[in-house]
Amino acid sequence: MTTRFVKTQKEMEGRYEDVWALVDESDETTSWKPDADLSLVGQPAPRQDGAARAAGRVRFTVDVKLAGMLHAAVLRSPAAHGTVRSLDLAAALATPGVRGVIGPESELSLTTRAPLLQAEPAYAGAAIAVVAADTLEAALAGVAALALDLEVLPHLVDMQEGLNEQRFTTDPTDEARGDAEAALAAAAVTIEFALDTPAHVQTPLEPHAAVASWDGDELTAWVSTLGMFAAREELAKAFGLRKDAVRVRTEFVGGGFGAKQGAGFEALAAAELARITGRPVRLVNDRHAEQLDGGRRAATRQTVRLGADRDGTLTAIDADAVVAQGQGGWVMPVLIPAQTLYRCANVRALTFPVKTNLRAQNAFRAPGVMEGTAAFEQAIDELALALNMDPLELRRLNHADVDQVSGLPYSSKQLLACYDRAAELAGWATRDELRKPQPDGLLRGMGCATQIWWGGGGPPSHATVRLDADGNATVITGIQDIGTGTLTSAQIVAAEELGLPLSQVRVVGGDTGPNVYGPVSGGSQTTPSVMPAVRSAAAKVRKTLLQLAGDVFEIAVEDLDLRDGRIRSSDGAIDAEVTEVTGKLGDATIDGSGSRGPNPDGFVVHTFGCQIAQVAVDVGLGEVRVERIVAVHDVGRIVNPLTASSQVEGGVLQGMAFALSEEFIVDPTTGVPVNAHLDDYKIPTIADMPEIIIDYPHVPDANLPTTGTKGLGEPPIIPTAAAIANAFAHATDRRAAALPLTRARVLETLA
Amino acid sequence: MEITLEVNGRTYSIAPAGRRLLAVLRDDLELLGTKLACGEGACGACGVLLDGRPVNACLLFAEAAEGHEIVTIEGLSTGRAAAVQAAFVAEDALQCGFCTPGQVVSATVLLERTPHPTREEIHETMAGNLCRCGAYPKIERAILRAAGEA
Ligand code: FES
Ligand code: FES
Repeated sequence: MTTRFVKTQKEMEGRYEDVWALVDESDETTSWKPDADLSLVGQPAPRQDGAARAAGRVRFTVDVKLAGMLHAAVLRSPAAHGTVRSLDLAAALATPGVRGVIGPESELSLTTRAPLLQAEPAYAGAAIAVVAADTLEAALAGVAALALDLEVLPHLVDMQEGLNEQRFTTDPTDEARGDAEAALAAAAVTIEFALDTPAHVQTPLEPHAAVASWDGDELTAWVSTLGMFAAREELAKAFGLRKDAVRVRTEFVGGGFGAKQGAGFEALAAAELARITGRPVRLVNDRHAEQLDGGRRAATRQTVRLGADRDGTLTAIDADAVVAQGQGGWVMPVLIPAQTLYRCANVRALTFPVKTNLRAQNAFRAPGVMEGTAAFEQAIDELALALNMDPLELRRLNHADVDQVSGLPYSSKQLLACYDRAAELAGWATRDELRKPQPDGLLRGMGCATQIWWGGGGPPSHATVRLDADGNATVITGIQDIGTGTLTSAQIVAAEELGLPLSQVRVVGGDTGPNVYGPVSGGSQTTPSVMPAVRSAAAKVRKTLLQLAGDVFEIAVEDLDLRDGRIRSSDGAIDAEVTEVTGKLGDATIDGSGSRGPNPDGFVVHTFGCQIAQVAVDVGLGEVRVERIVAVHDVGRIVNPLTASSQVEGGVLQGMAFALSEEFIVDPTTGVPVNAHLDDYKIPTIADMPEIIIDYPHVPDANLPTTGTKGLGEPPIIPTAAAIANAFAHATDRRAAALPLTRARVLETLA
Repeated sequence: MEITLEVNGRTYSIAPAGRRLLAVLRDDLELLGTKLACGEGACGACGVLLDGRPVNACLLFAEAAEGHEIVTIEGLSTGRAAAVQAAFVAEDALQCGFCTPGQVVSATVLLERTPHPTREEIHETMAGNLCRCGAYPKIERAILRAAGEA
């Protein structure tokens, strides 16, 4: 085994960085051929832990109970902006059952994330103090005893006002290629389209949560996070500990959708209080806190100007976006669709990150790109209208054969196949029939939208596989299971490579203890990062097993094959259970470890797709009903079609709700959100569900190591809202100036 | 003050101290399958059976459950409930699984009352059980499967 460093690019939600990837030269590097004879990969398989989940037996962070554990409650700012005049920490500490209190002035042992608590809270819901007590009730009584006196200061929550006042979190950006202004002036056809998109709250049903427990200078933290290794790093830094003095456990996460990054406030505060009190501490957001302070997709105000030749060739794209960042956070790539979706030489993209008195926005499934697509893909439909062209035809005509920013080829792009398949499944050719008067009096229409996202993954990512004497294999990964079914995909890949039935392969994750690194569950990178590492680890075990079989059966290893749990020789003389070899191991095991190799040089890796929506509009009630969504996404090889379609359905439903019902509303007078609860923030119910038809081009990405798979977490949410809005315009000949298409907005738009 | 609760066929003496049934189930009885997701009666994650009727345990005061038969997800593992659970797994009607115990409780009651539900009946009965992951298409299929219709 030779280990080398290779310089490669790592991508996370569109941000690239150069990294050194550790490459083991004995790792499997060749991809399965597109027509490889695979028996498990590509076949639907139920989750390895499905029965435990259905029986309510799996344990989430909120279910962790430790002996002597305290419960923490958080005092949060009731105002959008204020300054603490007084806070009675002593009274809180004197409350029966209270064991520890921290406030803005408290001396803390943690050194980063300062200040953890706010003396001048800058948004409603900002944490001011935390109380830990024997029971949650006692902690809440302690919070009341703090008797917060807050002087309310002026706030700003309106992004237009922020723009006018030039209040930015970071400098506005101006990215250009060619000369969009001149091209617009010269264009035969131009359109302009403006759209406001709403703030959109992730709303995982399991809120942010953490339990922290110290043993001397060693910390164990159960964290509901999308990145347990990032959480470990953050905790180790904050408390000045060696990495291996921190163990993060994240076996099951009750949804995250981007929100739960790293250790978060919860784990840091719980660990600090656990250190102060000498007892384990649990901190769980209640629903109101989760909606106020869990995060959100930022609201935007976007304008898109397009110019084209008479034949539909795009000649100019000029887009700008005002993004209501709240207190900060990185600026989401809202204008990526404008910059990369179609072939165009003259593009300008201006982004204004406005600072408002809301929590810093954070990632929500396809951050930036989804809300950018909602505006840009409606503009493309407006252009089609101005050109009197079929919207899908216009998209095909302007297909980008290479990446428009770098000029590099794509590792694989099956977008045209997605258009064709989606059109066929939706009945696109006869879509104008829907506009004829309908017996039920509803107006119907059909609209499409294109999807682009990264999703190629990359190093570092590791896995180890152990085969025991009983013929059962255990795959150890660094994956936290957030509901995507990635562990089961790893089970399928390992079983395929090992030649064992699924029942003999079990995958574990959710614990940094074994120190097998896995990436954060974000950016659609888990599957393309982890599966090659798993395959590589399994390949080594397979190789060793066959060598041992050669010893046992006294036959050349080249003459042996391993499949379906049996070892066979090419002449048919040997046909034995795996255990005939492994049984001789005794207490020894066959081990293999694998890592994810670098991405190919000279390519840009992206996922693509097309969705087509059919809607019915009740013009009397203003109700928009989504009847059907066809979703065809190019994500390379599909490992498990059963869980893949679950991902697509989930993305489509969240995208649909962004188009129709979800909107985080802030009262401009007080600056306080008014619907930070589950009963008034309208996530979809089963009764809102449209028919969802799913397909893929099924073309593995031959340039990606070694499974040809790309990520599928974000792609399905990206085009849904745009497709619905385009279908609404097809049905009604009107386009709303803002999403979501609530009844009031629809009635206003149609008036 | 102590009260007596009948949960999953066993009798417990607990001191509710003004708490909701959900808190008692989770904290005192360590029945952790039932989830707290909103505490506002808006999501159904805390669904349990009270004399066979589904209720949101996050709203109900524990005292009010005295004298009633309570069944939680831990008490649902045979008969129709087992069929529902098997169908949920087979159809992948769960993603993160946090809403799943509540979904299983509601689906089991639905099938007990309406062994062959229509899609509309499924939507009507299950609309109180939110799933943020969006497992709805497969929850519908799982219920139809458990009803022997898919
Ligand atoms: S937790 Fe009880 S209804 Fe949501
Ligand atoms: S499976 Fe995640 S909330 Fe339903």
